[in-house]
Amino acid sequence: MVVVLGGCLLSGALLIAGDEAKKQESKAYDEDAYGPEAPIVWVKPVRTVVFEHKVHTMDAGLSCDSCHDDLFEMENGAAEKKDDFTMAALYKGSYCGSCHDGSTAFASNTRCTSCHIGVRGHARLNDKGDATAKSH
Amino acid sequence: MKIDDLQQMESEDVNTLPSVERRKFLKFGLAVTGMYLGGSILSLTSTGNAYSSGVVPTVGQYPYSPHYSMVIREKRCIDCELCKEACVKTNHVPKYGFRTTILEKRRALEGNKFETTFMPVLCNHCNNPPCVRVCPTTATWKDKKTGIVGIYNPSFCIGCKTCMTACPYNARYFNEERRAIDKCDFCYDSRLSKGGTITACTEACPADVRVFGNLADPTSRVFKLVHAAETIVWVLRPETGAIPNVFYINN
Repeated sequence: MVVVLGGCLLSGALLIAGDEAKKQESKAYDEDAYGPEAPIVWVKPVRTVVFEHKVHTMDAGLSCDSCHDDLFEMENGAAEKKDDFTMAALYKGSYCGSCHDGSTAFASNTRCTSCHIGVRGHARLNDKGDATAKSH
Repeated sequence: MKIDDLQQMESEDVNTLPSVERRKFLKFGLAVTGMYLGGSILSLTSTGNAYSSGVVPTVGQYPYSPHYSMVIREKRCIDCELCKEACVKTNHVPKYGFRTTILEKRRALEGNKFETTFMPVLCNHCNNPPCVRVCPTTATWKDKKTGIVGIYNPSFCIGCKTCMTACPYNARYFNEERRAIDKCDFCYDSRLSKGGTITACTEACPADVRVFGNLADPTSRVFKLVHAAETIVWVLRPETGAIPNVFYINN
Protein backbone atom coordinates (compact mmCIF):
# COMPACT_ATOMS: atom_id res chain seq x y z
CA MET A 1 0.00 0.00 0.00
CA VAL A 2 2.74 2.40 1.03
CA VAL A 3 4.77 1.39 -2.01
CA VAL A 4 1.85 2.06 -4.37
CA LEU A 5 1.21 5.45 -2.76
CA GLY A 6 4.91 6.28 -2.99
CA GLY A 7 4.94 5.27 -6.66
CA CYS A 8 1.95 7.50 -7.40
CA LEU A 9 3.53 10.46 -5.64
CA LEU A 10 6.81 9.96 -7.44
CA SER A 11 5.24 9.71 -10.91
CA GLY A 12 3.08 12.74 -10.09
CA ALA A 13 6.12 14.72 -9.09
CA LEU A 14 7.88 13.67 -12.29
CA LEU A 15 4.91 14.75 -14.41
CA ILE A 16 4.77 18.14 -12.72
CA ALA A 17 8.52 18.56 -13.18
CA GLY A 18 8.12 17.72 -16.89
CA ASP A 19 5.36 20.30 -17.28
CA GLU A 20 7.49 22.92 -15.55
CA ALA A 21 10.38 22.23 -17.92
CA LYS A 22 8.05 22.63 -20.89
CA LYS A 23 6.67 25.90 -19.56
CA GLN A 24 10.16 27.27 -19.06
CA GLU A 25 11.04 26.30 -22.61
CA SER A 26 8.00 28.16 -23.95
CA LYS A 27 8.87 31.17 -21.83
CA ALA A 28 12.32 31.39 -23.38
CA TYR A 29 10.75 31.51 -26.85
CA ASP A 30 9.58 35.03 -27.65
CA GLU A 31 7.01 34.97 -30.46
CA ASP A 32 7.42 38.69 -31.15
CA ALA A 33 11.12 38.24 -31.81
CA TYR A 34 11.14 34.75 -33.35
CA GLY A 35 7.74 34.37 -35.05
CA PRO A 36 4.86 32.03 -34.24
CA GLU A 37 5.91 29.03 -32.17
CA ALA A 38 3.40 26.63 -33.71
CA PRO A 39 4.85 24.89 -36.77
CA ILE A 40 3.60 25.97 -40.19
CA VAL A 41 2.10 23.02 -42.04
CA TRP A 42 1.61 22.94 -45.82
CA VAL A 43 -0.53 20.32 -47.49
CA LYS A 44 -0.29 21.74 -51.00
CA PRO A 45 1.04 20.88 -53.52
CA VAL A 46 1.77 17.65 -51.58
CA ARG A 47 1.04 16.43 -48.07
CA THR A 48 2.68 17.30 -45.64
CA VAL A 49 5.52 19.79 -45.27
CA VAL A 50 6.47 21.44 -42.01
CA PHE A 51 8.30 24.69 -41.25
CA GLU A 52 9.32 25.79 -37.79
CA HIS A 53 10.15 29.42 -37.08
CA LYS A 54 12.10 28.35 -33.99
CA VAL A 55 14.64 26.30 -35.95
CA HIS A 56 15.28 29.16 -38.37
CA THR A 57 15.17 32.22 -36.11
CA MET A 58 16.02 31.29 -32.52
CA ASP A 59 18.33 28.39 -33.41
CA ALA A 60 19.83 29.46 -36.76
CA GLY A 61 19.84 33.19 -35.97
CA LEU A 62 17.92 34.49 -38.98
CA SER A 63 15.95 37.71 -38.63
CA CYS A 64 12.36 38.23 -39.78
CA ASP A 65 13.39 40.24 -42.83
CA SER A 66 15.61 37.42 -44.06
CA CYS A 67 12.44 35.89 -45.52
CA HIS A 68 9.64 38.45 -45.02
CA ASP A 69 8.23 39.80 -47.21
CA ASP A 70 10.48 39.05 -50.18
CA LEU A 71 10.36 35.24 -50.10
CA PHE A 72 7.23 34.70 -48.03
CA GLU A 73 4.33 36.98 -47.20
CA MET A 74 3.51 37.31 -43.51
CA GLU A 75 0.11 35.82 -44.09
CA ASN A 76 -1.01 32.37 -43.13
CA GLY A 77 -1.37 30.15 -46.23
CA ALA A 78 -0.24 32.81 -48.71
CA ALA A 79 2.52 30.68 -50.30
CA GLU A 80 0.26 27.66 -50.59
CA LYS A 81 -2.15 29.59 -52.80
CA LYS A 82 0.52 30.33 -55.39
CA ASP A 83 0.94 28.04 -58.38
CA ASP A 84 4.72 28.28 -58.39
CA PHE A 85 5.10 27.01 -54.80
CA THR A 86 6.72 23.79 -56.06
CA MET A 87 9.96 21.87 -55.67
CA ALA A 88 10.96 22.95 -59.19
CA ALA A 89 10.75 26.60 -58.08
CA LEU A 90 12.80 25.82 -54.98
CA TYR A 91 15.56 24.34 -57.15
CA LYS A 92 15.63 27.66 -59.05
CA GLY A 93 16.12 29.61 -55.83
CA SER A 94 12.58 30.67 -54.99
CA TYR A 95 10.98 30.36 -51.55
CA CYS A 96 12.97 27.96 -49.29
CA GLY A 97 15.38 27.38 -52.18
CA SER A 98 16.80 30.85 -51.61
CA CYS A 99 18.86 29.45 -48.72
CA HIS A 100 18.37 25.71 -49.23
CA ASP A 101 20.73 25.67 -52.20
CA GLY A 102 23.49 23.42 -50.92
CA SER A 103 25.81 26.21 -49.75
CA THR A 104 23.85 28.33 -47.24
CA ALA A 105 21.76 25.39 -46.05
CA PHE A 106 21.27 21.80 -47.26
CA ALA A 107 20.02 21.70 -50.85
CA SER A 108 16.31 21.44 -51.57
CA ASN A 109 16.78 18.19 -53.44
CA THR A 110 18.42 16.47 -50.47
CA ARG A 111 17.20 15.30 -47.05
CA CYS A 112 13.58 15.22 -48.21
CA THR A 113 12.11 14.00 -44.93
CA SER A 114 13.60 16.88 -42.91
CA CYS A 115 10.66 19.00 -44.06
CA HIS A 116 8.36 16.42 -45.67
CA ILE A 117 6.96 14.84 -42.55
CA GLY A 118 4.24 13.06 -44.52
CA VAL A 119 0.77 11.99 -43.54
CA ARG A 120 2.12 10.07 -40.56
CA GLY A 121 4.14 13.02 -39.29
CA HIS A 122 1.14 15.32 -39.71
CA ALA A 123 -1.08 12.97 -37.71
CA ARG A 124 1.55 12.86 -34.98
CA LEU A 125 1.75 16.67 -34.95
CA ASN A 126 -2.04 16.90 -34.59
CA ASP A 127 -2.01 14.33 -31.79
CA LYS A 128 0.59 16.37 -29.97
CA GLY A 129 -1.48 19.54 -30.45
CA ASP A 130 -4.55 17.80 -29.06
CA ALA A 131 -2.60 16.48 -26.11
CA THR A 132 -1.33 19.92 -25.09
CA ALA A 133 -4.76 21.47 -25.66
CA LYS A 134 -6.29 18.91 -23.32
CA SER A 135 -3.70 19.41 -20.59
CA HIS A 136 -4.34 23.15 -20.39
CA MET B 1 32.22 -62.40 -3.78
CA LYS B 2 35.46 -62.86 -2.07
CA ILE B 3 38.70 -61.22 -3.13
CA ASP B 4 40.29 -64.63 -3.70
CA ASP B 5 37.55 -65.58 -6.15
CA LEU B 6 37.99 -62.30 -8.02
CA GLN B 7 41.67 -62.98 -8.46
CA GLN B 8 40.80 -66.32 -10.04
CA MET B 9 38.62 -64.70 -12.76
CA GLU B 10 39.78 -63.90 -16.29
CA SER B 11 40.86 -60.27 -16.80
CA GLU B 12 38.61 -58.03 -19.00
CA ASP B 13 41.15 -55.28 -19.68
CA VAL B 14 42.36 -54.36 -23.23
CA ASN B 15 45.53 -56.45 -22.91
CA THR B 16 43.51 -59.65 -23.09
CA LEU B 17 41.18 -58.47 -25.92
CA PRO B 18 41.55 -60.61 -29.07
CA SER B 19 42.62 -58.69 -32.21
CA VAL B 20 39.41 -59.73 -34.02
CA GLU B 21 37.41 -57.74 -31.51
CA ARG B 22 39.67 -54.72 -31.99
CA ARG B 23 39.23 -54.86 -35.76
CA LYS B 24 35.48 -55.12 -35.46
CA PHE B 25 35.44 -52.05 -33.28
CA LEU B 26 37.64 -50.03 -35.65
CA LYS B 27 35.55 -51.07 -38.67
CA PHE B 28 32.42 -49.90 -36.93
CA GLY B 29 34.06 -46.57 -36.15
CA LEU B 30 35.15 -46.11 -39.76
CA ALA B 31 31.68 -46.94 -41.02
CA VAL B 32 30.12 -44.25 -38.80
CA THR B 33 32.76 -41.69 -39.81
CA GLY B 34 32.32 -42.57 -43.49
CA MET B 35 28.59 -42.18 -43.28
CA TYR B 36 28.86 -38.67 -41.81
CA LEU B 37 31.61 -37.63 -44.19
CA GLY B 38 29.71 -38.92 -47.22
CA GLY B 39 26.60 -37.08 -46.09
CA SER B 40 28.36 -33.78 -45.70
CA ILE B 41 30.04 -34.07 -49.09
CA LEU B 42 26.67 -34.79 -50.71
CA SER B 43 25.06 -31.83 -48.96
CA LEU B 44 27.58 -29.45 -50.54
CA THR B 45 25.90 -29.89 -53.92
CA SER B 46 23.12 -27.40 -54.69
CA THR B 47 19.56 -28.67 -54.45
CA GLY B 48 17.80 -25.95 -56.46
CA ASN B 49 18.35 -23.30 -59.07
CA ALA B 50 20.41 -20.64 -57.41
CA TYR B 51 20.07 -17.68 -59.76
CA SER B 52 22.56 -15.56 -57.93
CA SER B 53 24.23 -15.43 -54.58
CA GLY B 54 22.91 -11.90 -53.95
CA VAL B 55 19.39 -10.53 -54.10
CA VAL B 56 19.72 -9.30 -57.67
CA PRO B 57 19.14 -11.93 -60.35
CA THR B 58 21.90 -12.69 -62.86
CA VAL B 59 21.40 -10.79 -66.11
CA GLY B 60 19.42 -12.93 -68.52
CA GLN B 61 18.22 -15.36 -65.89
CA TYR B 62 14.68 -14.27 -65.15
CA PRO B 63 12.13 -17.03 -64.66
CA TYR B 64 9.26 -15.02 -66.18
CA SER B 65 8.54 -13.03 -69.30
CA PRO B 66 7.51 -10.33 -68.75
CA HIS B 67 9.18 -10.54 -65.34
CA TYR B 68 7.21 -7.83 -63.53
CA SER B 69 9.06 -6.14 -60.70
CA MET B 70 9.19 -2.87 -58.82
CA VAL B 71 12.15 -0.75 -57.77
CA ILE B 72 11.59 1.52 -54.78
CA ARG B 73 13.89 4.54 -54.55
CA GLU B 74 13.41 4.66 -50.84
CA LYS B 75 14.90 7.93 -49.62
CA ARG B 76 12.76 9.92 -52.07
CA CYS B 77 9.52 8.83 -50.38
CA ILE B 78 7.82 11.67 -48.51
CA ASP B 79 4.75 9.76 -47.28
CA CYS B 80 2.27 11.91 -49.22
CA GLU B 81 0.30 8.67 -49.59
CA LEU B 82 -0.99 9.50 -53.06
CA CYS B 83 0.03 5.94 -54.01
CA LYS B 84 -2.20 4.51 -51.31
CA GLU B 85 -5.11 6.66 -52.44
CA ALA B 86 -4.64 5.65 -56.07
CA CYS B 87 -4.47 1.97 -55.09
CA VAL B 88 -7.64 2.18 -53.00
CA LYS B 89 -9.49 3.92 -55.81
CA THR B 90 -8.25 1.63 -58.58
CA ASN B 91 -8.63 -1.67 -56.78
CA HIS B 92 -11.57 -0.86 -54.47
CA VAL B 93 -9.64 -1.58 -51.30
CA PRO B 94 -11.75 -1.24 -48.13
CA LYS B 95 -10.70 0.94 -45.22
CA TYR B 96 -9.74 -1.96 -42.96
CA GLY B 97 -7.24 -3.42 -45.43
CA PHE B 98 -4.41 -2.36 -47.70
CA ARG B 99 -2.63 -3.64 -50.78
CA THR B 100 0.24 -1.24 -50.26
CA THR B 101 1.22 0.96 -47.36
CA ILE B 102 4.09 3.09 -46.10
CA LEU B 103 6.18 2.25 -43.07
CA GLU B 104 8.38 4.65 -41.17
CA LYS B 105 11.85 4.25 -39.73
CA ARG B 106 13.65 6.66 -37.44
CA ARG B 107 17.42 6.81 -37.14
CA ALA B 108 19.19 8.79 -34.42
CA LEU B 109 21.48 11.55 -35.66
CA GLU B 110 24.01 13.61 -33.76
CA GLY B 111 22.69 16.46 -31.63
CA ASN B 112 19.61 14.61 -30.38
CA LYS B 113 18.02 14.74 -33.84
CA PHE B 114 16.30 12.09 -35.89
CA GLU B 115 16.18 11.22 -39.55
CA THR B 116 12.95 9.77 -40.87
CA THR B 117 12.85 7.28 -43.72
CA PHE B 118 9.57 6.26 -45.29
CA MET B 119 9.42 2.73 -46.66
CA PRO B 120 6.69 1.85 -49.16
CA VAL B 121 5.75 -1.83 -48.93
CA LEU B 122 3.57 -4.10 -51.05
CA CYS B 123 3.42 -7.72 -52.20
CA ASN B 124 6.90 -8.74 -53.32
CA HIS B 125 5.60 -11.24 -55.90
CA CYS B 126 8.26 -13.67 -54.73
CA ASN B 127 9.78 -16.27 -57.03
CA ASN B 128 9.35 -18.74 -54.19
CA PRO B 129 6.13 -17.47 -52.57
CA PRO B 130 5.47 -18.91 -49.09
CA CYS B 131 1.80 -17.85 -49.33
CA VAL B 132 1.20 -20.01 -52.41
CA ARG B 133 2.89 -23.02 -50.84
CA VAL B 134 0.52 -23.02 -47.85
CA CYS B 135 -2.79 -22.43 -49.67
CA PRO B 136 -4.84 -25.61 -49.20
CA THR B 137 -7.32 -24.90 -52.02
CA THR B 138 -5.12 -23.41 -54.80
CA ALA B 139 -7.11 -20.16 -54.60
CA THR B 140 -3.85 -18.25 -54.91
CA TRP B 141 -0.95 -19.04 -57.14
CA LYS B 142 1.92 -17.48 -59.05
CA ASP B 143 1.22 -16.86 -62.70
CA LYS B 144 3.59 -18.93 -64.83
CA LYS B 145 3.95 -16.24 -67.46
CA THR B 146 4.16 -12.93 -65.56
CA GLY B 147 5.21 -14.16 -62.13
CA ILE B 148 2.39 -12.15 -60.54
CA VAL B 149 1.11 -13.69 -57.31
CA GLY B 150 -2.65 -13.31 -57.29
CA ILE B 151 -5.95 -14.65 -55.98
CA TYR B 152 -6.88 -16.11 -59.34
CA ASN B 153 -9.67 -18.21 -57.87
CA PRO B 154 -11.38 -16.14 -55.13
CA SER B 155 -14.33 -18.56 -54.99
CA PHE B 156 -11.90 -21.30 -53.90
CA CYS B 157 -10.71 -19.19 -50.94
CA ILE B 158 -12.08 -20.61 -47.70
CA GLY B 159 -10.73 -17.71 -45.61
CA CYS B 160 -8.38 -19.84 -43.55
CA LYS B 161 -5.87 -16.95 -43.61
CA THR B 162 -2.91 -19.32 -43.61
CA CYS B 163 -1.41 -17.32 -46.49
CA MET B 164 -1.66 -14.17 -44.38
CA THR B 165 0.48 -15.76 -41.70
CA ALA B 166 2.88 -17.26 -44.22
CA CYS B 167 3.55 -13.99 -46.04
CA PRO B 168 6.82 -12.44 -44.77
CA TYR B 169 5.64 -8.99 -45.92
CA ASN B 170 2.18 -8.70 -44.34
CA ALA B 171 0.88 -8.05 -47.85
CA ARG B 172 -2.48 -9.83 -47.55
CA TYR B 173 -5.78 -8.96 -45.88
CA PHE B 174 -9.17 -10.63 -45.68
CA ASN B 175 -11.80 -8.84 -47.76
CA GLU B 176 -15.05 -9.12 -45.81
CA GLU B 177 -17.24 -8.21 -48.78
CA ARG B 178 -15.74 -10.76 -51.13
CA ARG B 179 -15.21 -13.31 -48.35
CA ALA B 180 -11.76 -13.93 -49.77
CA ILE B 181 -8.18 -12.84 -49.25
CA ASP B 182 -7.17 -9.82 -51.30
CA LYS B 183 -3.72 -8.48 -52.15
CA CYS B 184 -1.66 -6.47 -54.62
CA ASP B 185 -1.64 -8.00 -58.09
CA PHE B 186 0.55 -5.28 -59.64
CA CYS B 187 -2.79 -3.88 -60.91
CA TYR B 188 -3.10 -6.84 -63.28
CA ASP B 189 -6.91 -7.02 -63.12
CA SER B 190 -7.49 -3.29 -63.08
CA ARG B 191 -4.85 -2.04 -65.50
CA LEU B 192 -2.25 -4.44 -66.99
CA SER B 193 -4.82 -6.88 -68.41
CA LYS B 194 -6.62 -3.92 -69.99
CA GLY B 195 -3.57 -2.66 -71.84
CA GLY B 196 -2.04 -0.58 -69.04
CA THR B 197 1.71 -0.64 -68.60
CA ILE B 198 2.23 0.64 -65.06
CA THR B 199 0.54 0.24 -61.70
CA ALA B 200 -1.74 2.90 -60.21
CA CYS B 201 0.68 3.59 -57.34
CA THR B 202 3.58 4.16 -59.76
CA GLU B 203 1.48 6.56 -61.81
CA ALA B 204 0.36 8.50 -58.72
CA CYS B 205 3.80 8.94 -57.14
CA PRO B 206 4.95 12.58 -57.49
CA ALA B 207 8.49 11.83 -56.25
CA ASP B 208 9.33 9.04 -58.73
CA VAL B 209 9.81 6.54 -55.91
CA ARG B 210 8.04 3.54 -57.39
CA VAL B 211 9.44 2.34 -60.71
CA PHE B 212 7.52 -0.54 -62.27
CA GLY B 213 8.40 -2.65 -65.28
CA ASN B 214 9.67 -5.80 -66.90
CA LEU B 215 12.98 -6.84 -65.38
CA ALA B 216 13.62 -9.23 -68.27
CA ASP B 217 13.69 -6.30 -70.71
CA PRO B 218 17.19 -4.74 -70.78
CA THR B 219 15.73 -1.45 -72.06
CA SER B 220 13.34 -1.09 -69.11
CA ARG B 221 14.01 1.35 -66.31
CA VAL B 222 13.74 -1.32 -63.62
CA PHE B 223 16.45 -3.35 -65.35
CA LYS B 224 18.72 -0.30 -65.61
CA LEU B 225 18.21 0.65 -61.95
CA VAL B 226 18.68 -2.86 -60.54
CA HIS B 227 21.74 -3.61 -62.67
CA ALA B 228 23.37 -0.15 -62.43
CA ALA B 229 26.98 0.08 -61.28
CA GLU B 230 27.81 1.41 -57.80
CA THR B 231 24.30 0.82 -56.53
CA ILE B 232 23.32 -0.88 -53.32
CA VAL B 233 20.23 -2.96 -54.01
CA TRP B 234 18.42 -4.60 -51.13
CA VAL B 235 15.24 -6.54 -50.56
CA LEU B 236 13.16 -6.93 -47.44
CA ARG B 237 13.62 -10.06 -45.34
CA PRO B 238 15.94 -11.95 -47.71
CA GLU B 239 16.52 -14.61 -45.05
CA THR B 240 13.09 -16.13 -45.73
CA GLY B 241 14.34 -17.47 -49.07
CA ALA B 242 11.22 -16.18 -50.81
CA ILE B 243 13.30 -14.43 -53.55
CA PRO B 244 11.26 -11.20 -53.72
CA ASN B 245 10.80 -9.04 -56.82
CA VAL B 246 10.52 -5.66 -55.11
CA PHE B 247 13.95 -4.09 -54.95
CA TYR B 248 15.01 -1.12 -52.85
CA ILE B 249 17.71 1.38 -53.82
CA ASN B 250 18.71 4.85 -52.70
CA ASN B 251 20.13 6.31 -55.92
